[in-house]
Amino acid sequence: MISIVNYGIGNIGSVSNMLAHIGVKSSLASSIDEIEQADVLLLPGVGNFGLAMQTLNKLGFVDPIRRKVLEERKPILGICLGMQLLSRASEEAEGVPGFGFIDADFVKFRPANAALKVPHMGWNTVSVRSPNPLLPQDGDEQRFYFVHSYYARCNNPSEVVATSVYDGEFVCAYGRDNVWGVQFHPEKSHKFGMKLLRNFAAYAC
Amino acid sequence: MLRNRIIPALLLRNGGLVKTTRFADPRYIGDPLNAIKIFNEKEVDELLVLDIMASKEKRGPDFDVIQQFATECFMPFCYGGGITTLEQADRLFALGVEKVSLQTATASSLDLVSDIAAKFGSQAVVASIDIAKSWTGSYQMRWSSTGATDKHWQRHMERVVEAGAGEILLNSVDRDGTMQGVDTKLIGTAADIVNVPLVALGGVGKLEDVREAIRAGASAVAAGAFFVFHGKHRAVLITYPEYAALEALLNADG
Amino acid sequence: MTDSPRDYQVCTRCVMDTSDPEITFDEKGECNHCRGFDQIAPTRWFPNEEGAQKWQAIVEQIKRDGEGKAYDSILGLSGGVDSSYLALKIYEAGLRPLVVHVDAGWNSELAVANIEAIVEHCGFDLHTHVVNWEDMRDLQLAFLRSGVSNQDVPQDHAFFASLYRFAIENGIQTVFSGGNLATEGIFPASWHGDAMDVVNLKAIHNKYGSRKLKSYPTISFFEYYFYFPFVRKMRTVRPLNYMPYDKDAAMVELAEKCGWRSYGRKHGESLFTRLFQNYMLPVRFGYDKRRPHFSSLIVSGQMTRDAAITALNEPLYDATELETDINYFCKKLRISREEFEAVLAEPVRHHTEFPTWERRQKLAKSAQAALEKLRGRKISVYS
Repeated sequence: MISIVNYGIGNIGSVSNMLAHIGVKSSLASSIDEIEQADVLLLPGVGNFGLAMQTLNKLGFVDPIRRKVLEERKPILGICLGMQLLSRASEEAEGVPGFGFIDADFVKFRPANAALKVPHMGWNTVSVRSPNPLLPQDGDEQRFYFVHSYYARCNNPSEVVATSVYDGEFVCAYGRDNVWGVQFHPEKSHKFGMKLLRNFAAYAC
Repeated sequence: MLRNRIIPALLLRNGGLVKTTRFADPRYIGDPLNAIKIFNEKEVDELLVLDIMASKEKRGPDFDVIQQFATECFMPFCYGGGITTLEQADRLFALGVEKVSLQTATASSLDLVSDIAAKFGSQAVVASIDIAKSWTGSYQMRWSSTGATDKHWQRHMERVVEAGAGEILLNSVDRDGTMQGVDTKLIGTAADIVNVPLVALGGVGKLEDVREAIRAGASAVAAGAFFVFHGKHRAVLITYPEYAALEALLNADG
Repeated sequence: MTDSPRDYQVCTRCVMDTSDPEITFDEKGECNHCRGFDQIAPTRWFPNEEGAQKWQAIVEQIKRDGEGKAYDSILGLSGGVDSSYLALKIYEAGLRPLVVHVDAGWNSELAVANIEAIVEHCGFDLHTHVVNWEDMRDLQLAFLRSGVSNQDVPQDHAFFASLYRFAIENGIQTVFSGGNLATEGIFPASWHGDAMDVVNLKAIHNKYGSRKLKSYPTISFFEYYFYFPFVRKMRTVRPLNYMPYDKDAAMVELAEKCGWRSYGRKHGESLFTRLFQNYMLPVRFGYDKRRPHFSSLIVSGQMTRDAAITALNEPLYDATELETDINYFCKKLRISREEFEAVLAEPVRHHTEFPTWERRQKLAKSAQAALEKLRGRKISVYS
């Protein structure tokens, strides 16, 4: 059973919907109790890094999530802003630390080419760089729907799972041990997203 | 490689799907839910659903119906029609709608654009602009809910983007439903004005028209008739090009 | 279900059983359906050289009659195997049909993709008739609530009514049907009434519907039995009875020639029919449509009885798929899941509990018999 962290930010509707469609049980974790009882966490998120961390702090979710991930070693998947929150920090919110599970930080796209707009929005192809439970390394080309203005810079190359190209190559999925994050939106990426979530469920549940 | 989006545009009227020609003569296409389900299975890039009567009838979005739609698609879904408050937008996003399209609301004030952009991000707000040629041949904006026209469409475009709109939906009234080709001049002029993605809608009759629109400056191309009609009798049949065909079409451009 | 006191019995030759309350068995344990097939087949089924010649003659007649006209025939295309294969054969025979698709709001993506593939390959000019969804929904809900077993009537009646009207509008007299004895030779009449019975349809809707039908297409008894066949001289032709027709082979041919894709085990063109035949019909009425389908294939030599028995043991639905289909069904008809479950638990009714056109049919049949006696030869209307 996948527990979707419900902190009022992010597209939980679409995520639950896709999970239901592929026959994976999920529920919303809207309280500290529910987070503490979870076996698998999914952290969604859309919008501002600072506001998101602030909200999680206010709700008291930060410590339970930290315990779940670092002590209980339960699997967690962060989607879009959720992925960003798993890192150390983002330029978007100076001085606001993220969870720090992954040794990375986020910076804004500043394309030299005026034709490249920000946010990076639309369908883009993804190249898998290391073995991981979400995306197969070989096989057909994978594409996903992206919409973000900040991208990851990984300090530890072994944590890079996949990259995409927009104004150069950038990390679009990272992870290690029980912590995984994807910049794109599986819940908006039809068959590709379904495959990824199925893989995650098979690995985590 | 980021690919230009190709988006089926569906028009809702009294609960049914219709297709207009030059924004008139709505022809019944069928049940919107089934059409959306089919497009979803065809794995389209994104879906645009516009309730063309909402503003005219001074009512808001039908949330129940939109929820049905949102739960049948696993790709970005943009909804427009009758949105006048932040609460409505909030509710739509909670249902799984990715973006909201505003037109009538932007006539009186741009506050709603700014408010939604501030809370949900610019990429969540699309400003919809309908352009028709006046009798002198110059482009002007047409407000669909009242029919009023305004020749300062370019200024309006700049202002909505300044206010926070992350995308412009540019609809050519004259080409709507004609399948006679896109208005590249209009697209080119508009693309030069703003820095945000431009979605061109109106006139696509064949795949090459999609490429024309992109070459003219559109970031994405939407189409209605092209995806719901088939053949010389304009028989209702939902189609969408295979991914390989779209790749070939767009990559040929580099 | 029926509270028949009969003991369970299944035919020794095909797989029809006592879920057909009117079934009878002979001393060998073979059923009346097998017997019926044996009697009818020699007169209507020609999967051989004789059939090829008959078909050729029919084709030439149609071409002659159609000379100078925009279309020489009409064909309804649902995207299913039968109508798709039929379309291909008609195209290969060099005929010029007006091709109609009737959209009742339940098309699967595959149906629509297959229609596109066929129409593109054959170069046909497609016409569609989109049935008003609000009408369709109300009619289907009425049928659902009525408890009759043929829930496919709203779709089927609209299909034929639209087809015939298109034919009239375009002055076409030859109506092609994908009906065939090779795969549909056996069907128990007791399982449902005739989809063309508009009296029954209207009676059911009057009782259980909640709004007037605004534009739902219908055909009256008079039109169906007299006006179309005798005044407009329309004839239905079933070409698949004049050639060998094996569904699997047909699907391979369709895939190779047109890029047509198979629906798998279930009726995949209509999402309504899929749920209805594979879930509602067996669960609520105890009818497994695979029985008559496999039985047809057994008597036509396309399937062995053993294979049929094995296949019948397979579940009709996979759990996740069923959930998805039921959810969609409820969404489309705008009923809650509770309502759906409640309706399924309600008692069933036989379609004859509502007015039917059977009395008018009997009258017409006696008139037909009398006329045949007078003229000294048979009148075949719907072959």
